[in-house]
Amino acid sequence: MDISEEKRNRDSAVNYDSVDNPAVDWQVSSSNPVSAPIDSYTQENLISACPSSCSPSQMMDSFGQTLWYDPTSVQAVGYGGFSVQNNGGNASSSSFRGNVDRSLEMGWNLPNLLPPKGNGLFLPNASSFLPPSMAQFPADSGFIERAARFSLFSGGNFSDMVNQPLGNPEAIGLFLQGGGTMQGQCQSNELNVGELHNDASTVVKEPNVRSSEQLKPNVPGSGNVSEDTQSSGGNGQKGGETSSKGFDTRKRKRNGQNSEAAQSHRSQQSEEEPDSNGDKKRNNEQSPNSPGKKTNSGKQQGKQSSDPPKDGYIHVRARRGQATNSHSLAERVRREKISERMKFLQDLVPGCNKVTGKAVMLDEIINYVQSLQRQVEFLSMKLATVNPQMDFNLEGLLAKDALQLRAGSSSTTPFPPNMSMAYPPLPHGFMQQTLSSIGRTISSPLSPTNGGFKRQDTNGWEGDLQNVIHINYGAGEVTPDPQAAATASLPAANMKVEP
Amino acid sequence: MASSDKTINTDVPEKDVFAIHFLQSLSNLTTQNPFNSPDTTNYRARKIKKAAYVSMAKAAGGSSRLWSRALLGRAAKENNKIVRFARRKRKVTWKISSKRRSDQRAPEATDRLRNLVPGGGTMETSKLMEETAHYIKCLSMQVKVMQCLVDGLSPK
Repeated sequence: MDISEEKRNRDSAVNYDSVDNPAVDWQVSSSNPVSAPIDSYTQENLISACPSSCSPSQMMDSFGQTLWYDPTSVQAVGYGGFSVQNNGGNASSSSFRGNVDRSLEMGWNLPNLLPPKGNGLFLPNASSFLPPSMAQFPADSGFIERAARFSLFSGGNFSDMVNQPLGNPEAIGLFLQGGGTMQGQCQSNELNVGELHNDASTVVKEPNVRSSEQLKPNVPGSGNVSEDTQSSGGNGQKGGETSSKGFDTRKRKRNGQNSEAAQSHRSQQSEEEPDSNGDKKRNNEQSPNSPGKKTNSGKQQGKQSSDPPKDGYIHVRARRGQATNSHSLAERVRREKISERMKFLQDLVPGCNKVTGKAVMLDEIINYVQSLQRQVEFLSMKLATVNPQMDFNLEGLLAKDALQLRAGSSSTTPFPPNMSMAYPPLPHGFMQQTLSSIGRTISSPLSPTNGGFKRQDTNGWEGDLQNVIHINYGAGEVTPDPQAAATASLPAANMKVEP
Repeated sequence: MASSDKTINTDVPEKDVFAIHFLQSLSNLTTQNPFNSPDTTNYRARKIKKAAYVSMAKAAGGSSRLWSRALLGRAAKENNKIVRFARRKRKVTWKISSKRRSDQRAPEATDRLRNLVPGGGTMETSKLMEETAHYIKCLSMQVKVMQCLVDGLSPK
């Protein structure tokens, strides 16, 4: 296919040697297990890692996964020779589309992607591990798609762009390559592709134009006209806003609505710009995305809400065809978060797989919680009736007996000096054994201290059980002191153990 | 029985931790009110239930969960003890900002859930969902522990 060939050519043409580390990292990262199903949230998770802090490999992985266009033809997304072969061509178009949808919703943690001002393009500032453009790649399928489109149509002009000073061309190149791969998979992008082509060509002709401008065509793709504060730098440039806009909407949760308003304002500004690119971008965005607030993408994973350690931004991309008002964006993000959690709950509550819909799910969850609470109540009632004296001290005493028996059978085992409540995972059967033995002892007559109380099942007890018994023992004998019980039972037990 | 989601972490300790806490709280119970309390089954049942909840909250990660903190705070208040947990820094959430906008919230479907989950009154809805998930896990674990205990104690 032409596209793939072009991509390959571009791969060779693109020179990312300037960035040594990233290439290495990427190649290393290619071996990372990217086999996680695309439908899972791995990509978002990878992406969510702060670009500045996350390893390029992570981003590459997720990016590569989505970039996977043609297992055989695509050599690499041109990231410094990084070959997107890790997937082995597993990325199916469907999954890819799924990614795309998701990416549309995803908040990209690209703090570096659009530096506050002036940079215009995705300069990751000081990220040394990646070429600036790479660092800013959200490794988002939507992003990739956009890049793909861009690259797809920049065609031969790409080399010109490549030669551009650091950052912009690389970014664009990356986009291009990524876009190329994605292009093949996203049929929905065809429309965009055509439009992108125009954009790309125009952009290419003006290599000196700010990178933001160049990126603009990349951005559209399936991306949404998203608000972006970063684009302020590119304001002067035509479409500079749009490119940044396409990337990412920074939501400063700290500032709450102020920044949102600013963002929306700026995005509106950029939208209004008489920018053919922007228009095309918007047009492009319409086709791939399902119109309206989309629940399916929302369901999958609209937004990556983990905040990068550096800043608390939650990057949100406005979906195509939807209001880009800051409030509605936030609403959408919130809704997606909620739906994601509902899905998680669905797995938890038994028998909720067929149920769909928030209200019904909610009812099911409420019923389940209520039933669990009723169960607790019922069991506590049962416990109260079973043990009329409520003398659970017997357990401690029993423990002592058991301990003695055990000590008698074997040499005194040194008890760990400090026993905390948090034990290493005890064997599963331990619980049953303990309780059964406790139960048996309680029900049968026993002398509080050394009785000739032969218990056969003590053999089944394990060393850890002693610890537990100690605690109970301590709690029963000593004045109730939660902390002391945990640690102080040892000496008392020791005394008893040694005849 | 720990599970972890990439974005949501709802790890729950093993059953044994719950068992230990529960047994300990039970033994505490017996030493609490030795003589001056009516020895009716109902009373005992209530005590046991409270002990169960408190031990569950402790076992499930004391102050790292909102619901457990609320539970323990409630229990402490009943005993006239005051327990204070370090408050985690909260970011301005949409919920709070929206509250400012409208004091009255239309009766939501999640209100019932809020009533069920301890501490759910002022949580954001997404946070409520998280807490619910963890709460469900812990509840089921606690139920298992109690069931084991009952089985062990019931006359064969």
